[in-house]
Amino acid sequence: MTDVDAPTARLSARGLTRHFTTRVPGRIFAAKRVTRAVEDVSLDLVAGRVTAVVGESGSGKSVLARMLARIVTPTSGELYLEGSAIALGGRRTLNYAAQVQLVLQDPFASMNPVHPVRHSLERPLLIHGARKSEVDELARSVLARVALDPPDRFLDRYPHELSGGQLQRVSIARALCVQPSVLLADEPISMLDVSVRLGILNLLKGLADHERLAILYITHDIASARYLADETIVMYAGQVVERSRGTALIDRPAHPYTQLLISSVPDPSSRPGVDASASASRSFVRAEVGCAFAPRCPHATARCRVECPPAFAIGDGHLSRCWLHADQEGVSVDLATPDRQREGEATKT
Amino acid sequence: MSASRIDVGNRLDRRGASPSREATPSARDFVLEVSDFSVHYGVDANMVRAVHDVTLNVRRATVLGVAGESGSGKSTLVYALTRLLRPPGVISGGRAILNVSSDDDPARVTPVNLTTASERELRRVRWSHVSIVLQSALSALNPVRRIGREFDEVLRTHRRAMSRRERRRRAEELLALVGLEPDRLNRFPHELSGGQRQRVMIALALALDPELVVMDEPTTALDVVTQREIITELAELRARFGFAMIFITHDLSLLVELADEIVVMYAGTIVERASAGELYAAPRHPYTLGLLESFPPLHGERRELTGIAGSPPDLAVESVGCSFAPRCPFTMDRCRAETPPLAPIGETGRSVACWLHATPSPVPVPAALSRRWTAPVGPTAPGVTSR
Repeated sequence: MTDVDAPTARLSARGLTRHFTTRVPGRIFAAKRVTRAVEDVSLDLVAGRVTAVVGESGSGKSVLARMLARIVTPTSGELYLEGSAIALGGRRTLNYAAQVQLVLQDPFASMNPVHPVRHSLERPLLIHGARKSEVDELARSVLARVALDPPDRFLDRYPHELSGGQLQRVSIARALCVQPSVLLADEPISMLDVSVRLGILNLLKGLADHERLAILYITHDIASARYLADETIVMYAGQVVERSRGTALIDRPAHPYTQLLISSVPDPSSRPGVDASASASRSFVRAEVGCAFAPRCPHATARCRVECPPAFAIGDGHLSRCWLHADQEGVSVDLATPDRQREGEATKT
Repeated sequence: MSASRIDVGNRLDRRGASPSREATPSARDFVLEVSDFSVHYGVDANMVRAVHDVTLNVRRATVLGVAGESGSGKSTLVYALTRLLRPPGVISGGRAILNVSSDDDPARVTPVNLTTASERELRRVRWSHVSIVLQSALSALNPVRRIGREFDEVLRTHRRAMSRRERRRRAEELLALVGLEPDRLNRFPHELSGGQRQRVMIALALALDPELVVMDEPTTALDVVTQREIITELAELRARFGFAMIFITHDLSLLVELADEIVVMYAGTIVERASAGELYAAPRHPYTLGLLESFPPLHGERRELTGIAGSPPDLAVESVGCSFAPRCPFTMDRCRAETPPLAPIGETGRSVACWLHATPSPVPVPAALSRRWTAPVGPTAPGVTSR
C-alpha cells in the first residue's frame, strides 16, 4: 500500500509487522495468544514532508513508531534508511540513532527529573562524538531552534521548573541535537494545554518546511493531522485501513473507520444533533478473521466477516481497505457523503 | 429499576413541581448559586489568588461548561465549591448555596451554604446531592480494590436500609447504565481500559441520584472515539435522570456541543459568560476567540493558526489592569491601568470582562473579532472564515 516514489524517501518501511505473544491472565498453562499489534505496514518518510498516522488507542500506531525508531524489533518486514537496507536482527546502531529520533507523548515522563535540561541535551551530543568544548554552544543553538529563547534561561532548569509546552520543546530539542534526518513524533501534543498545542504543531511544520526533516506525526486527533499532514494514514487494529496524499481522506473519508474517527471530533460547526456513527459500535474489538473492523462497522456484510479486504484505489493516491470499494464507482461516491448515506439508511429501516 | 433510589418519576416531580413553600423562586430554578467566590493558596507574601470574585448560577437540569487553560483556576473553583480543597487552599470570600430538594417531598427545597457547612452537613449533601467525577480515573479508584467494593461502600454508607444483595443488584444496574457488563464488578481498576474506568467513575457519581454532578476534565485523558462515546452516554443519562452538570474542560469546541451555558475563566476570574451557541458564533472576549482559534478545524481551507501567544500570568504577583492584557492582540492603554468588570452586554444576558465592550465604546471593534460577529449563528460559516 505505498505510492510514494521510494528514491527520495529518507526512511522506508516495507511490510512491517509485529506480533506479541501474551498469556491469558491468570492461566499460566493455557495456550499463548498472539496479539497482532502491527500488520504489514509500508510507508515512506520523505524529506520536508509530514506523514500523519491516525488511529485510536490500541491501533498499533505507537508500536509502529517504536519499530521505526528500532526500539521494538519487527517480527517481519524491512527497513531502508536512505535507500540502504537495515539489518533488523541486532541492536540499533549509533548511526541509525543519529538519523532517526523519537519524541514521546509525555514530556514529564521522558525527561530525567534529577538532571537539568543541559544534561539531557549534552549527553546525546557527547555520545555522538561532539567535542566537550563545543557541546555548550550546540546545546544553545538547538534550544534556539525550538524557540526557547534565551537559551540561558532554560539550560540550567530542571524539568519540574518548566511548563509542559516548554518541556515538550526541550524534548524535541534533544531529538534534534544529533542532526537527525527523520523525526518520529508519537502524540507530541496530546498531554499539552490548548494554548501551547498549536505552537508545537507549528514548530514541527517549520522543521519540515525549512529544515527539510522527514516527520512522522502520530495522533488520535484527526483535526491536528489535517493541519499538518502531507500524507495521511489511518490505522485500525494494526492495519492501514485508509491512506491518501495530503488530507484527501479527511475531506472525503472513504473507509467506515475513518468516518467514525472524524465524526468523533468535537465540531461545533457541524450540523447539531447529527451523530455520525451512532450506528457504529464504538468499543474497540478486533475480528480474528475477515476485516478487523467488521464487528463495529455499520456496513459490514457476510463477506467482510470471512475475507480480509485488500486495499482498493479510490482516487489519486487514495487507498481504502474496505470491500465497499471493490466496485470503485458508485459505492465510494456514496460513502464520501456520510451524512446523506446515513439518512438514506435510516429511511430504509 | 423498581428497587432503586433513582426514580424517574420522582425526579421529574422535582423539576416541574408546584412552587415550594419556603424557598425563594430562584432556589427552585437554580441548583447552585455562587456569588463573589474567592480562593487563595497560602497566606501573606506567597499568597496565590487562584479564584477571584466568581459569580455563577447553575440552573436545574442544565449543563454549565467551564473552560480555560491550565492554571486558570477552573479545577480549584470546583474543589472549593465541593469543599474538597485541601490546605494551603482557603476559601477567602463569597458564598456558595446548594439548593437541596428533600427526599420525601421533592418540591421542598432547602438551601445549604456550602462555604460554611459543617462536616456533618457536608456528609449529608455530598454524593446524594452533589457528586464529582475526577480527571484521572486510575488515581481516583483504589488500585487494590475490586470495582464492586467501591459501589458497595457508597451504598452501605448512604443507604443503610439496603441489603447486601440489593446493593449488588444496584451496582449492576448502575454499570448497565454506562454500558458495562456486570462482571466488571469483580475486576480491578488496572484490568479496565481508560474509557471503562471513566465509565465506572460516572456510574459511581450517579449511584445516589444526585442533583448536580461535577465533571473535572473527565475525557481529557481519553482518545477522541472514547470521548465521543462517553459524551453521548452522558447526554442520554441526563435526559433520563435530569441532573445538572458542571463540566470542566480546556476543549472549548467540546463544550459548545455539550453545554447550555459556558463560562470562560482566565487567571482565576470569569472573563466571559454566554450561551454555548452565542459564544461559538460570536466570542466577545479576545481570550475566548483565542481558545476557539486554537483548534485546527476539520473543514475549510488549511491556514496557519497562531493560538494564544505567551503564557498565563503568575497569580502570586498582584497585577494592575486586565490580566489578559500582556497576551491580548487588542490591548489599549486603559487595559493596563484598570481591571475590566464582568459586565452584561446585549439583550441576551451574556456578559464579558473586556474594555472593548465598555459603553460608550470609545474604540472601534477589532476586525478579527467583528468578522466572526457577522457570521450567522449556525452550521454554515464560522469555521470557514479565512484570514
